[in-house]
Amino acid sequence: MKKSTIVLIVILVLVVVIGIALVGGYNKVVSQRESVDTASANLDVMLQRRADLIPNLVNTVKGYTSHENEVIEQITTARENLINANNIEEKAAADEELSSAIDALMIVVENYPDLKSSQNFIQLSDELAGTENRIATARRDYNNAVQTYNLTIRRFPNNLLAGMFGFETVEYFEATESSQEVPNVSFE
Amino acid sequence: MLASSKRKAFLIICFFMLFLIILGKTTSFAIVPPTDEFYVNDSANLLSEDLEKYIVETNVTLNQKTGAQIVVVTVNSLEGQSLEEYATELFRECGIGDATKNNGVLLLLALEEREFRIEVGYGLEGALTDGKTGRIQDEYIIPYLREDNWNEGVRNGYSKILEEVANEYQVDVGEITAVKGTTVSEPLDFFTSTILPIAFFVAVIAFRIYAASHGILIVGGRGGFSSGSSHHSSGGFFGGGGSSGGGGSSRRF
Repeated sequence: MKKSTIVLIVILVLVVVIGIALVGGYNKVVSQRESVDTASANLDVMLQRRADLIPNLVNTVKGYTSHENEVIEQITTARENLINANNIEEKAAADEELSSAIDALMIVVENYPDLKSSQNFIQLSDELAGTENRIATARRDYNNAVQTYNLTIRRFPNNLLAGMFGFETVEYFEATESSQEVPNVSFE
Repeated sequence: MLASSKRKAFLIICFFMLFLIILGKTTSFAIVPPTDEFYVNDSANLLSEDLEKYIVETNVTLNQKTGAQIVVVTVNSLEGQSLEEYATELFRECGIGDATKNNGVLLLLALEEREFRIEVGYGLEGALTDGKTGRIQDEYIIPYLREDNWNEGVRNGYSKILEEVANEYQVDVGEITAVKGTTVSEPLDFFTSTILPIAFFVAVIAFRIYAASHGILIVGGRGGFSSGSSHHSSGGFFGGGGSSGGGGSSRRF
């Protein structure tokens, strides 16, 4: 009789302790998931910002050049792809494509001193470079949030929780080496 | 019983001595005006004392009126890091600008790389767009830096940024720059910097000795002391906690 009461109490205590731990773990996972979503939204804003700058850039370049259609075409397509990208992987790929297209444009621009030294173009380049850097920062923040979150839900005992509530690991925003280099725009 | 409490008292006195030494160090740090370290960090040693004073003084007034902060940092080398990453990290580490307004600006000069960057906090991105900071560098800063005229370049650029930030908050720049010789770098007065910590410390020790002689066990007593001294640490105290998302512009010179 007395023994069974003790067993009962022990079980009860265990249930409460485990319950508290589970709730704590769950809340942690939820808030980390929220950070990932925030970082992802922030990254989207920056990607959109970059896409929005492109038409202006293209028009400025067109104003000074006549037969650089190939480069301009490349940029316009890359921009379309970025806008239409649906998931992180597509976005990363499209962003990379746009980076190399802008690189190509900047090389072409070298042949047009008037364009290069125009106030409008300098300002656009600054906005573009600033946006590149914002994207790089947002990408770092996003990847850090993802790393924290993924680690949490893969570790015991949260992995059990993640399975129960359907938390899945999130993809990193990864671009290959080439896109990590910010197009180097220098003005002599 | 008596012997053990004597030993306890001895140990406590040893701790007392040790902490006095540590305390002496922290207060001497605190006496160095933390503003000097926060608003200007001329680690490459390029700027004149006059200019540093000007930057600190105007910043204090600007901060009072608007909550904004404009920090100037010079470094010898970026140690292989990119200028942009370095700037963003430094910006966030220092927490430049107000935590909710994020209205900080960082002017960073890297000597070895011959690079300059104006990094703008989220809250001032409207007033200081990337294009604008680029133009400010082209017109006010880079021409001087090319001739190694660090003071003129930094002073010019800083003043222009100050003007832009003041305009954003509809504050007359004259009001900010006119304040000369204010008690800006005024160190903590003797009472708060020295007497108070010592009094606190003595009180803690006295209590401990009292407690020890009465056989009261104190758990975590040292933690209480360290939180008392952390009040004097200057790190992060003057930074409002502002953040940056990497806005701004960079130039080579």
